[in-house]
Amino acid sequence: MSAERGNVKILVFTCRWCGLIGADGAGRKRIELPASYRVIQVDCAGYVEPDAVIRALASGATGVAVLGCHVGGCRFNDANHPALKRLELLKTLLDTTGIGGRRLLLGFGTAHESHQYAEMIVDFHRELEGMPSMASWLPQGE
Amino acid sequence: MLDQVKQKAKEILEKKEADGVLGLRKGLFDVIHPHVFTVPSELDALVLEPKWLFAKMARAILREKPQAWRLAVIVRGCDERAIVELVKRNQIDRERLLTLGYACDMDQAKACLCSRPFPQKLDAGAAVEGVDPLADERVKAYLEGDAGKRMEMWAAQLKRCIKCYGCRNSCPICVCVPCKLEDDVWVERGVIPAEMISFQIIRAFHLSDTCVACGACQEACPVGIPLMTLQLSMREALKKDYNYEAGLDANRKSPVLFDFAKEPRPGQAVPDWVDSMGKKP
Amino acid sequence: MAKIGVILCTCFGEIGRVVDLESLKTRLEADPAVDFVTIRDSLCLPGDATRMQALIRERGIGKVILGACSIYGKMEFVRLALAREGTNIRTVRAVDLREGCAWVHGKDPVGASRRAANQLEMEIALLQNRQDSKDVAIRVQQEALVIGAGPAGLSAACGLARLGFKIHLVDRGSAPGGLLNVITKTFPIDEPGPEKIKNLVDETGNNSLIRFYGKTKVSAVKGYAGDFKVSLAGPEGNTALRVGAVVLATGARVLFPQGMFGYGKVKNVITQMEMERRFATGAASCKTAVFVQCVGARNSERPYCSTICCPLSLKNAMRVMDENPGAKAYVLHRDIMTPGSVLEAYYRKALQKGVQFIRFDADRPPEMRGQDQVSGIEVFDTISGVSRTIETDLLVLSTPFIPDPDATALARMLNIPVDKYGFYAEVYPIHPVETRNDGIFICGTARWPVASDQAIAQGEAAAMKAASFLGKVDLSALTMSRVPGGKLGHAVADAAACTGCGNCVAVCPYQACRLQRTGNRSVSRVIKVRCKACGSCVSVCPNGAMQMPEQNYRAVGEMIRRAFREVR
Ligand SMILES: Cc1cc2nc3c(=O)[nH]c(=O)nc-3n(C[C@H](O)[C@H](O)[C@H](O)COP(=O)(O)OP(=O)(O)OC[C@H]3O[C@@H](n4cnc5c(N)ncnc54)[C@H](O)[C@@H]3O)c2cc1C
Ligand code: SF4
Ligand code: SF4
Ligand code: SF4
Ligand code: SF4
Ligand code: SF4
Repeated sequence: MSAERGNVKILVFTCRWCGLIGADGAGRKRIELPASYRVIQVDCAGYVEPDAVIRALASGATGVAVLGCHVGGCRFNDANHPALKRLELLKTLLDTTGIGGRRLLLGFGTAHESHQYAEMIVDFHRELEGMPSMASWLPQGE
Repeated sequence: MLDQVKQKAKEILEKKEADGVLGLRKGLFDVIHPHVFTVPSELDALVLEPKWLFAKMARAILREKPQAWRLAVIVRGCDERAIVELVKRNQIDRERLLTLGYACDMDQAKACLCSRPFPQKLDAGAAVEGVDPLADERVKAYLEGDAGKRMEMWAAQLKRCIKCYGCRNSCPICVCVPCKLEDDVWVERGVIPAEMISFQIIRAFHLSDTCVACGACQEACPVGIPLMTLQLSMREALKKDYNYEAGLDANRKSPVLFDFAKEPRPGQAVPDWVDSMGKKP
Repeated sequence: MAKIGVILCTCFGEIGRVVDLESLKTRLEADPAVDFVTIRDSLCLPGDATRMQALIRERGIGKVILGACSIYGKMEFVRLALAREGTNIRTVRAVDLREGCAWVHGKDPVGASRRAANQLEMEIALLQNRQDSKDVAIRVQQEALVIGAGPAGLSAACGLARLGFKIHLVDRGSAPGGLLNVITKTFPIDEPGPEKIKNLVDETGNNSLIRFYGKTKVSAVKGYAGDFKVSLAGPEGNTALRVGAVVLATGARVLFPQGMFGYGKVKNVITQMEMERRFATGAASCKTAVFVQCVGARNSERPYCSTICCPLSLKNAMRVMDENPGAKAYVLHRDIMTPGSVLEAYYRKALQKGVQFIRFDADRPPEMRGQDQVSGIEVFDTISGVSRTIETDLLVLSTPFIPDPDATALARMLNIPVDKYGFYAEVYPIHPVETRNDGIFICGTARWPVASDQAIAQGEAAAMKAASFLGKVDLSALTMSRVPGGKLGHAVADAAACTGCGNCVAVCPYQACRLQRTGNRSVSRVIKVRCKACGSCVSVCPNGAMQMPEQNYRAVGEMIRRAFREVR
């Protein structure tokens, strides 16, 4: 069972009010980050449907991060509460199957600052590197 | 118990509480099949075995019939819960349906790993205590222990899927047309075995807060994948966090659909922030 | 299908020296969906937008991707500049190649270039698959409802009426004035409360555009921003109104310090409110008065400062000394909060007058002495470090403002959030009198504890915000958003696919989804004006019947698939 080292692919869903600002700040500070992630911007974390997270894993992402505003600070009337609840439930399912809930990173209110965002990407990258390969779950894998 | 059920069913028809009773009939050549009994005398041919879930069928029948037509359904615990979920999801009109509930025996409960082998509205038979599926050794093997090993175990299981859609079709809650499992965006079409993550996990997640642990998916699966097991930990999490169980109360929707003010986690404060890697803001 | 133009920016090398833009150009040009790819040194300098627009017009395309700095850098301005030049801003997307790419992958040009290629291709997928939401026009009702006729509500009502809007001013009490009606002297210039708002109350009576409804409550609010349908329940029965905006000025109440300092049991332990009443009825005689600050405030349950209690104690301490010659007044405080020049001068005045200030520590609060009648108070003075007992025959407790009991129900009716403590929540931090729901504005102590002058100022602010909303007259639902360039879209349910499960109805934080019965089944329908494009309904719809046309599941699915596509 090989590890994910060298194969880390992170899909980041981030709301424009939180993670995106952190991302911007990280850039301004020229914090060097692994180029292993891709960003999909959403207006609200409420938009991130669990099926999209699953689809990302099925399409070869080794980890998915969902970054939103802190729990009391949603710009959309607390739309991030149910989002958080359902994504936590998805983590449970991923844990059940052994894929690992850790592959889904939830950051609600912890990626707003540049250093937080950067630390999150770096640490998540490192964590995924150490996880067992998911190849057996992917169509081409055996 | 069968006589008791027959008696009650007859009463329902005689008193015109419903226009039809949905149950199993032993018909020609002793073939057992679902049937809508409309005259009391027919009910002599009623049987209760094997386990059969009528929830979805009841939905279809009621949609066909005129608005004033009412149906009584002979249900076990799981079937009643499925009906509750369908009522909650506006699939069945509560006013037009009544249930005639009977309890399963211990053997059935064990076979189903059922924790509630009786309907809430019990009309016949005596309720036996259920079994805790999470205490079952076979279940434990799939839910506990080394994650890496489990990932391989589940992969080996799910890979056997021949994409017959039996799980979805038999699930009393899966009623969507179209269904995401038939859409190329979510699940690659024409590929067997199915993409395990997008097919199985998407389906499992769609049932996360509605699965009533009836086991129909698992029983329908021709290759014997332990599909219900996939749902158990999510059901458990909802029970633990929100004291919520699907299929019990048609007036309580899934807590996952509401904010923390409307559906708090009893005993837990609403976090100011959440970070699954344990970082602080 | 309309093709896509890609405009890449080197940012004078900031991007160009890390990301291999030339290869990127070649790669993207091979994509049949792309009309042209051009590389510029800047997109944000004077004239750039005009030049880009000329190219866009020449090529006859409607969809543009700007591969440059982030939206928090210059790209939001550039998008808006392009919009001014005539491009449809809704189909101009920015891909962050500078802050989000070149600047964070400076040591990995290969990785950065791959990432840039993927991100651009993802954006192409989005533009290819996106659809346009149908816009709806709202005819904004040129009337407003103001709930609460205290200083805040009065000034909001008058402010709006002066601009020509018809105002319905509702109060559950019988007369306008709010809390100030019972206050006979107000800080900081000691005029009687009713005097302070006399001109506003008079104006309310004289301006024919304002109608005051006394002893009236709001029983229901339906509809949406620009066209709320309101029902009032008052002495003359029910009234139905249609208003474009609502201003909430329902005030707050003061905490009853039940059980604290013997309040409720011991005589002459009273609240500030009762003190005001004693002054009003001339029953405020005493030899000594001790005011205790922050009772039930700035603690773990209510960590906030109620802001008015310090000046209030100054006022009443001085008044005690004025009205009872020879009497002494003490203020026991944790900190004296008198911000600004006026209130600080007021504090100096109290000092000069001989009001005594003793500072105590929150961990070691003063203790009341006395059985049936207060006889003294023991306080540990943190500055001198000694404990002392002050003999007194009157103990006044400064308790904080807490939300009005009706506030939660009103908030729910109007679908706006409240903060942790139950005050109406503003859109923090840059929209102080606005709420998360369009067309609903807040002011006064209903929003946060303030003194009456600030309540009046906030009422004016709310009036201005409401006026600028009402003044639009014809409103396009798609512009109703704080996102520059407008709302992403409106969710829309596919009636054929919707099973009517009601998930979207339950989850929508703006109550924009409704189930409608058609034949023997229910189908969800989105009230476009209410939808704020949060996407929650999309996320909980099991089979994808609910979609956001601008970022539909085909687009997202394709973006996901392209995210890690092999580059070279
Ligand atoms: C003891 C005390 C002394 C004070 N002294 C001073 C002072 O000296 N100087 C000073 O500047 N400030 C003083 N203040 C503060 C001042 O009273 C407030 O700042 C001011 O009244 C706030 O105005 P408002 O319009 O926001 O609320 P309020 O004055 O509370 O008015 C709210 C109005 O809304 C109505 N209302 C509430 N709910 C509903 C509903 N559901 N339906 C219909 N109507 C409703 C109420 O009847 C009320 O008329 C004092 C406050 C207190 C408690
Ligand atoms: S056990 Fe299977 S068939 Fe039964 S409700 Fe759950 S998912 Fe559906
Ligand atoms: S799998 Fe999902 S989309 Fe398909 S029928 Fe079941 S709930 Fe509906
Ligand atoms: S019933 Fe079994 S084989 Fe058929 S689609 Fe479901 S998991 Fe696959
Ligand atoms: S996008 Fe959000 S606001 Fe709009 S209808 Fe859906 S849940 Fe409601
Ligand atoms: S969630 Fe989807 S299926 Fe359910 S009512 Fe809403 S649009 Fe219809």
